[in-house]
Amino acid sequence: MLAKAIHAPAAQWSRALELARSKWDAAQVAPIAVSLLIVAVVTVLLFVAGPLLDLDHAAFAYLIPVIIAATRWGVTPAIVSGLAGLAASAFFFYPPIYDIRVANPAHIADLILFVVVAVVTGQLANRVREHVKAARQREEETKALYFFSRRLAVASSPDDIHAAIQDHLSTTTGCRIVLFAAGAGQAHPETSPQWSRVPNTVQRAVLDIFDRGGEGREAPLIDRETGASWLIRILSQRKSIVGIKAIELGRVSQQSVDAIRQRVDTALVEAMATLERIDVAHAIGEARLRSEAETLREALIGSVSHELRTPLASILGSTSVLAQAPGVAQDARLSSLVDVIRSETERLNNDIQNLLDASRISSAGVQAHLAWAEPPDIANAALARLHRRLEEHHIDPRLAGDLPLVRVDAVLIEQALSQIIDNAAKYSPPGSTITIAARAVDATVEIAVSDEGPGLTADEQTRLFERFYRGPRHQVAVKGSGLGLWIAHAFIVASGGQLEAASEGVGRGTTLTVRLPAPPLAQADASENGDA
Amino acid sequence: MRSPALIVLVIDDEVQIRRFLRAGFELEAFTVQEAATGTEGIRAATLKPVDLVIVDLELPDMDGAEIVERLRSWSKVPIIVLSVRSSEEEKVRLLELGADDYVVKPFGMAELLARARAALRRQVPGQQGDPVVRAGPLTIDLAARTVSIDGRPIGLSPKEYRLLQVLAQHAGNVVTHLHLLREVWGNAHSDDAHYLRIFVRKLRQKIEKDPTQPRILTTELGVGYRLSVDGG
Repeated sequence: MLAKAIHAPAAQWSRALELARSKWDAAQVAPIAVSLLIVAVVTVLLFVAGPLLDLDHAAFAYLIPVIIAATRWGVTPAIVSGLAGLAASAFFFYPPIYDIRVANPAHIADLILFVVVAVVTGQLANRVREHVKAARQREEETKALYFFSRRLAVASSPDDIHAAIQDHLSTTTGCRIVLFAAGAGQAHPETSPQWSRVPNTVQRAVLDIFDRGGEGREAPLIDRETGASWLIRILSQRKSIVGIKAIELGRVSQQSVDAIRQRVDTALVEAMATLERIDVAHAIGEARLRSEAETLREALIGSVSHELRTPLASILGSTSVLAQAPGVAQDARLSSLVDVIRSETERLNNDIQNLLDASRISSAGVQAHLAWAEPPDIANAALARLHRRLEEHHIDPRLAGDLPLVRVDAVLIEQALSQIIDNAAKYSPPGSTITIAARAVDATVEIAVSDEGPGLTADEQTRLFERFYRGPRHQVAVKGSGLGLWIAHAFIVASGGQLEAASEGVGRGTTLTVRLPAPPLAQADASENGDA
Repeated sequence: MRSPALIVLVIDDEVQIRRFLRAGFELEAFTVQEAATGTEGIRAATLKPVDLVIVDLELPDMDGAEIVERLRSWSKVPIIVLSVRSSEEEKVRLLELGADDYVVKPFGMAELLARARAALRRQVPGQQGDPVVRAGPLTIDLAARTVSIDGRPIGLSPKEYRLLQVLAQHAGNVVTHLHLLREVWGNAHSDDAHYLRIFVRKLRQKIEKDPTQPRILTTELGVGYRLSVDGG
């Protein structure tokens, strides 16, 4: 305590002297001039009043300017007024008068006492002044921090936070602050508009930190050209840097650098906490939104599935009963009407199924359940499903009996193949042939569906599997939603296969090839599990 | 059909579905009972014996699996499930729980009747005299353990015969992959579905005219196989 008490004033005085040397500017001149003026006024008053009061200890009157100067303007003016008071007492009031020398030893003791009292009171007064100053500064800082917190509290994006830091630090420190965004998804610091406004030394340090992902040093720098000090701070969050700040301090001492650094770091800690809060809040908000959308979509799909398809099931079922009723079955006109109802309802059902499939693909993605399957089984199931719609075409299945087993989701592939075959039937003329040929190629089985239809233009070929794409040549002539092949493609890909379209050209037919994985089987089965 | 009329219990919450099922079954001389909920359906089946149960997979008070499970706990009555597309796992689960077959909505009456008849036929063995199952040109004599096509006997390996036997025991109805694997290979191999695919292929080469266009041993993708008694 004692050491500190002695040390602190010493440091202050030495700093004051240093300042007096280095910063002998207008701000210092005026208080000193005023202090000297007060000393002069005191001298005049003493001169006038002296003979009347017979002042013996005139020197102590000069404590008044010392105290005024110390409380008002600090140490330097106080020293100046103290010295001036000392000189004035010696010169004007202590014999020999009008001589700086002092003859009477009692007066010398007087002056020594004056100097001691002046130093102590100056010291005390100055300390009071410092306290007031510090309190005022603290108040201002608290106010600034309060506003900063308020701004952080309402900040909703990292940009808000950066702006808040910028404003807060520049008002509290009075320094120029340059922010370089960094980190994932952020621009390189060199692209910042501020880049050219910082000196080379700072640019190098910022790049160094950026390149090493926040590992660089944060020590203050001094730019040799201007002699200004710069502070560089990293804004990091969970070990990843989100920004780098360069703060220009100007030509200041080490002490003020430390003080500013402390202030900057306090602000940054608070800002980073806010940034994290925003991040978390943002993530929670997004997750909630996503899950709500997901729930809504699932509910919608579920209800569409039920609400639309249940009546369709009733219509189709009733139609099938109606078709067998003796009165209808024996009347060709009536049974053809029933047939119209049935086929149109089936089409409607297919369209609804396509919409459901499409929404299933885009919402949750398709879950494939892979299992071994016989390729002809898949093709036959598709043909069986479509048999009514293929009545006007000649179907030529070329399915070899010795194809390897494929490992796919057979249900998805059958649905995809149905879409492809249905598409071939829709776009090729009645009476033409649709060929379904399966063959083994390396570790895959290729099922190629070829028609004798209008073929594909180059544009159609590239866009065939796009969602809602419909060839402009057929938009009027052929009904469709543009979903079928997109669904087919998605189902095949989900099952680990590929779908390709090829055409010899316009008017020369189209071939869609489904390529399915047929990994080799384990060899153990023949002896262990075969017919023993 | 034998007399008196067979009683079919329809458990479905959709009144329109019940209406057309009633019409369809009555045209085929069935007696129809209706239930709108699972609870009501189970009570109806308990109060008075029925010959066939048609149950919807989605009921407001109970899911299809629960109804099948509860009916199966005391009754061997044939059960046909009305299912929806894209629920192969659910179908397999219901079949494993003891449902005899399923039809996928929307379905035609003819399809449902074919499944129902197959399930009913299995329920009354010996009704037609000897335990012989016919599927198109194929004849399987389960007592003599012989198989013939158009009267000409064919030779099958023990496993091939066992496979055909299990299918014949459920003739006309679907049999799940898992069930076949368990019956033919034992529990140990129930995961190795490709054995089944290979043996089905071998069997088809012996019993089908065109093994790539099977008419007798048909596939239910993702579910199992069926011996199609009305195929040919």
